[in-house]
Amino acid sequence: MSQTTTEKSGAAVKAAEPKKKAVLSEGKRAERKLGWLLCAPAAFIMLAVTAWPIIYSVYLSLQRYDLKFPDRQEFVGLDNYITVLSSPYWWNAVWVTVVMTVVSVVIELVLGMALALIMHRTLVGRGIVRTSTLIPYGIVTVVAAFSWRYAWTPGTGYLAELMGGDPVLTEKIPALAVVILAEVWKTTPFMALLLMAGLALVPDDLLKAAALDGASGWQRFTKVILPLMKPAILVALLFRTLDAFRIFDNLFVLTGGSQGTSSVSMLTYNNLIKGLNLGIGSTMSVLIFIAVAIIAFIFIKLFGTAAPGSDDGGKR
Amino acid sequence: MKDVDRSGRSRKPRHRIAAALGAAIVAAPVLVACGSSDGAITINVYKYPQESFQKIVDQCNSKAGGRYDIVYHKLPREADGQREQMVRRLAAEDTSMDVLALDVTWTAELAKAGWIKEFTGSAKSEVEDGTLQTPLDTASYEGKLYGAPDNTNVQLLWYRGDLVPTPPKTWDEMIQMAETLKKDGKPGLIEGQGKQYEGLVVLYNTLVNSAGGKILDENGTKAVVDDGAVKALETLKKFATSDVVDPSFSNAAEDDARLAMEAGKAAFMLNWPYVYAAGAKNADYIKNLKWAPYPSVGSGDSKVTVGGINYAVSSFTEHSDESFDAVMCLRSAESQKYAAINDGVPPTIESVYDDPEMAKPYPMKDAILETLKTASVRPRTPAYQNVSTVISTILSPPASIDPRATADRLRSELQDALDSKGVLP
Amino acid sequence: MAGIGGAETTAKKTRWGILNAVVVIYALFPVLWIVSLSFKSKDTLADGNFIPRSWTFDNYSEIFKTTEFVRALANSIGIALIATAVAVVFGTMAAYAIARLDFPGKSLLVGVSLLIAMFPQVSLVSPLFEIERSLGLFDTWPGLILPYITFALPLAIYTLSAFFREIPWELEKAAKMDGATPGQAFRRVIAPLAAPGVFTTAILVFIFCWNDFLFAISLTSTEKSRTVPVALSFFTGSSQFEDPTGSIAAAAVVITIPIILFVLFFQRRIVAGLTSGAVKG
Repeated sequence: MSQTTTEKSGAAVKAAEPKKKAVLSEGKRAERKLGWLLCAPAAFIMLAVTAWPIIYSVYLSLQRYDLKFPDRQEFVGLDNYITVLSSPYWWNAVWVTVVMTVVSVVIELVLGMALALIMHRTLVGRGIVRTSTLIPYGIVTVVAAFSWRYAWTPGTGYLAELMGGDPVLTEKIPALAVVILAEVWKTTPFMALLLMAGLALVPDDLLKAAALDGASGWQRFTKVILPLMKPAILVALLFRTLDAFRIFDNLFVLTGGSQGTSSVSMLTYNNLIKGLNLGIGSTMSVLIFIAVAIIAFIFIKLFGTAAPGSDDGGKR
Repeated sequence: MKDVDRSGRSRKPRHRIAAALGAAIVAAPVLVACGSSDGAITINVYKYPQESFQKIVDQCNSKAGGRYDIVYHKLPREADGQREQMVRRLAAEDTSMDVLALDVTWTAELAKAGWIKEFTGSAKSEVEDGTLQTPLDTASYEGKLYGAPDNTNVQLLWYRGDLVPTPPKTWDEMIQMAETLKKDGKPGLIEGQGKQYEGLVVLYNTLVNSAGGKILDENGTKAVVDDGAVKALETLKKFATSDVVDPSFSNAAEDDARLAMEAGKAAFMLNWPYVYAAGAKNADYIKNLKWAPYPSVGSGDSKVTVGGINYAVSSFTEHSDESFDAVMCLRSAESQKYAAINDGVPPTIESVYDDPEMAKPYPMKDAILETLKTASVRPRTPAYQNVSTVISTILSPPASIDPRATADRLRSELQDALDSKGVLP
Repeated sequence: MAGIGGAETTAKKTRWGILNAVVVIYALFPVLWIVSLSFKSKDTLADGNFIPRSWTFDNYSEIFKTTEFVRALANSIGIALIATAVAVVFGTMAAYAIARLDFPGKSLLVGVSLLIAMFPQVSLVSPLFEIERSLGLFDTWPGLILPYITFALPLAIYTLSAFFREIPWELEKAAKMDGATPGQAFRRVIAPLAAPGVFTTAILVFIFCWNDFLFAISLTSTEKSRTVPVALSFFTGSSQFEDPTGSIAAAAVVITIPIILFVLFFQRRIVAGLTSGAVKG
C-alpha cells in the first residue's frame, strides 16, 4: 500500500469525477472529509505560525521601523535591502556562516560515517555505543556550549592549559575553530544515525560477494557501500546544510558574535533585540529565508535529493 | 464513522494531555501568587549586582514606613546584559518594573522611545539641588531631566611615585617619560583599555573632547568627526604603536590594566578610582601609587569621559509617586555616602565629598571633583548603542588606525547608524 | 550482521572494544567536565583541573534557593510538556490520515511539513517578536508553545507516519469481522501497536522543545516564561566580582539529567524513531 498507488487511484477517481460524480461512494467522501479533519489542526498551526509571520516580515522589511525612534516609522521600499546587501558586516556574517557550514559538514560527514560504521558493525557493546552517541544529540546545546567555553577559558579550563593559556575565544579564527569544534561534537552523532540508516540498507550478500571477488575493505567501502548510500548521504547533507544557517546557540555562548564571528542568525538577533531595529532585522530574516529556499532547491532539483515523504518514506 | 474520527488518536496522548493540563492548572496559581502579597505596594528596582545595595534598600524601606516595599532585582554585571534585559521588557510595556538603574549612556535612547518618565516640578528641583553638573547633564535629554544621578565616575592618571617625580600633563609628555624610563631599564609601560568594548569608546571620547573635537553635532543627528576627532585618532594610534604600550593592550579591560600595574610592569595607568581600594591590600604598591588629572591632548584641559549610574522611573510603572519617592531615598546623600565608602563608587552630590568619613577611602577626591568640572559626556543620541558598537569595531585594534581613512569610515557608518540605516555588527 | 568474513576472534573483539571506548569518551567528556565544574568549590573553580580537588554541593543548593532557576525549571517543564502533548496529538491525527487515508491535498501537506522542517527559525524571530508584542503573547507560555508545536509537527508527522505504515491494517478488518465495533477494533488492536511509535515521537519532540534556545531568548523577558537554557545564560552570580561559573555548571547538569535518563532507558526506541524514515534534527 504505497503512497504512489493510492495517489494514482485517487487521481484516477478525480479524473473520472465529472462523469461519475454522483457515483463517488459515501465511503470515499467520508474518507476525504476525515482526512481533512484529522490534518486540519496540524496544517492550521504550521501555516499560521509560519506563513503569516513571513508575510509580515516582508512587510516590515519595507519599512524603516526602529523602536528607538518610534515617530520615524515610514515606508522606504527596498532601502533596507540595499543597506543590508551593501553592508560589510552582513557579508562577513555570510562568509562566517558559509565557512562554518562547509567545514563542519565535511568533518561531520567523515566522522559520522566512521561512527556509523562502528555503531553498525561493532561486535561488542552495541547498546553502550549507541547510548553514548545519543547523549550529544539530546544534551541541551547551550549546556554543551558552556562546557566548551569554560574548557577554553584561561585559568578555569583544561583545554586552555593545553594551548598555552592564550585566550582562544577572543580572536576571530581560533574562536571560529572552537565553535566549529562544538558544532561538530554535537551533531556528528545525529549524522551518524542518519548514515547508519542508509548503511543498514546495503545488502550483506553484495558485500560478501565483493569480498569473495577479492575486493579489499576500502574498495568494498568506496565501490559498494558509498554508491548505495548516496540517497541517505544526500538527505543528511541537505538537512545539515540547512541547519547550519541556524548556528546560534554555540556562537551566542562562546563568543556572543564579537570579533566578527557573528553568523547570519547572530547578526539578525543583534540587530533585532540589541539594536531594536525591526526594519533591518526583518530584512535579514527575509534574506535568510530566500537563501535557505535556494539551497533546498539546489539540493532537491539539481542533486536529486529524495525529499523525505515525497517517495515512500525511505522504505525500500 | 464518529468512532473512527475520535479514535484517530491513541490513548496515551490523551492521558498525556490530561497530565499536562493538570500540571498547568496546578502551576498557574503558584505562578500568579508569586507576584504581589497582601496588597502592599512593591517597588521593583532593577540594578546590577552592587555589594552593599541591599543594605541601602533595607534602610530606605524602613524610612518608607510601610507605604511601599522596595525589592532589589539583580541584573547582569556587564552593561550590555543589563540593557538587553531592560530594553526588551520596556519594548513589551512590562508593568512590573518601576525603578531602573541606567548607565549614563542610555538616557537618550530610553527617553526618546518614551520608556522613562520625565522628572518635573519638585522632583526635578530636589534632584538638581546639590548635584554635580556633569552627572546631571548625563541624565538630561533635549532639555528635560529623565534621571536622578546616583554615582559617577571619571578616570585619573595613576603613576608610580617612586619612578616619576612630577606627573606629565599631556599624552606626548607621558609617552616620552615612559620611554625614558624604559631605556633606563625601569618599568615603563602605560596601561589602558584597548579591547573592543565600551572602554575603548570611553578612551576615544576622552581624546576627542580633549582635542577640542566632536564626534556628533550638538543635536546628535549628524556625524561630524572633525579635525579634533582626527587628532584624537592620531594620538591613539601613536600610543598603540609606541614602545611603551602593553603588548596585550588590544585585549585589555579595566582589570587587566590594574593587575599589570600591580604586578609592577608599568609606570603609568589610566583607570577608574576603584583601583585604589582594589590594590589597598598590597602595602608596598599602595604607598607608591599616586594620582593626577588625566593627561590632555596638546594644550588645554583634558576632558575626561564621565561614567556612572542614574535612576529612572519606567513609563509603565503602576506606582509613579512611590517610585519617585523611592528614587529620592536610594540616591540621597546618605545612601551615596554609604555606597561610596563600601562599594567604591564616587557620589554625585557635592556635599558628600566634604564628609570627613570620605577622606580615608577617597584620598583622590579632590582630583575627582576637579576632573568632573571639565568632564565630557559620550555622544547623546537614542542610537548610542549602534554608535558605540560602530566606534569600538572600527577602532579595533587601535594599532591599525589610519587617521584620515578611519575618520572617513567613522563618519559614514555613524551617519548610517543615526539614520537607522546601519547594520549593527 | 557480524563482521564480514572471519571468526569472532578475541583480537577483533578487543579492537572493537577500543573503538567503542573512543566513541564513549568522545561523547561523554564535555558532559563529565561540566559535572566536574559543578562540584568544584569556589576557590578551586579557576584551577584548570579536570577532576575537582575539593568537592562541594554548594553550587547545587545555591541554584535551588534562587527563584530564577526554579521558575525557569518550571517553565521549561511545563512548556515542553504542553507543546509535546499538543504536537503529538495533532501529529498523530495527521500521520494517521497520511498513512491510512486518501484525500486531495495529502502530498501538499507532506510538502508543507518538509518546508517547515527546513525553515530557518531565525527568520521568524523578528515578525513573531512584533506580532506577539501586539497580541500580548510576548513573554507568556503560549508565546513559546506555539512556535515549538509548529516546528515539532514535521518531526512528529514523519516519525509517526513511518510507524503507522508498518502496521498491518488487515488486523483491524479481521477484528471487525470477528464482531468488534470499529472503536473496539481500534482500541484493542491498532492502538497498542501504534503506542510505541507515539511514545517515541513524544520523546523526540520533548527533547526538541527542551533544547530550544533561539525562540526562548527572543520571545521571553522575565521569569514568567523564561526557560532554563536562557536563564543559564543570564545568571548573574551572587556578587559584583564573581563569575557565576559554578552555578551555571550546576544548573546545566540539572537540566541534562532528564535527557540522560531518557537516552539511557529509551535508546532503542529513539534510534528506531530517528532512523525509520524520519529525517529531522
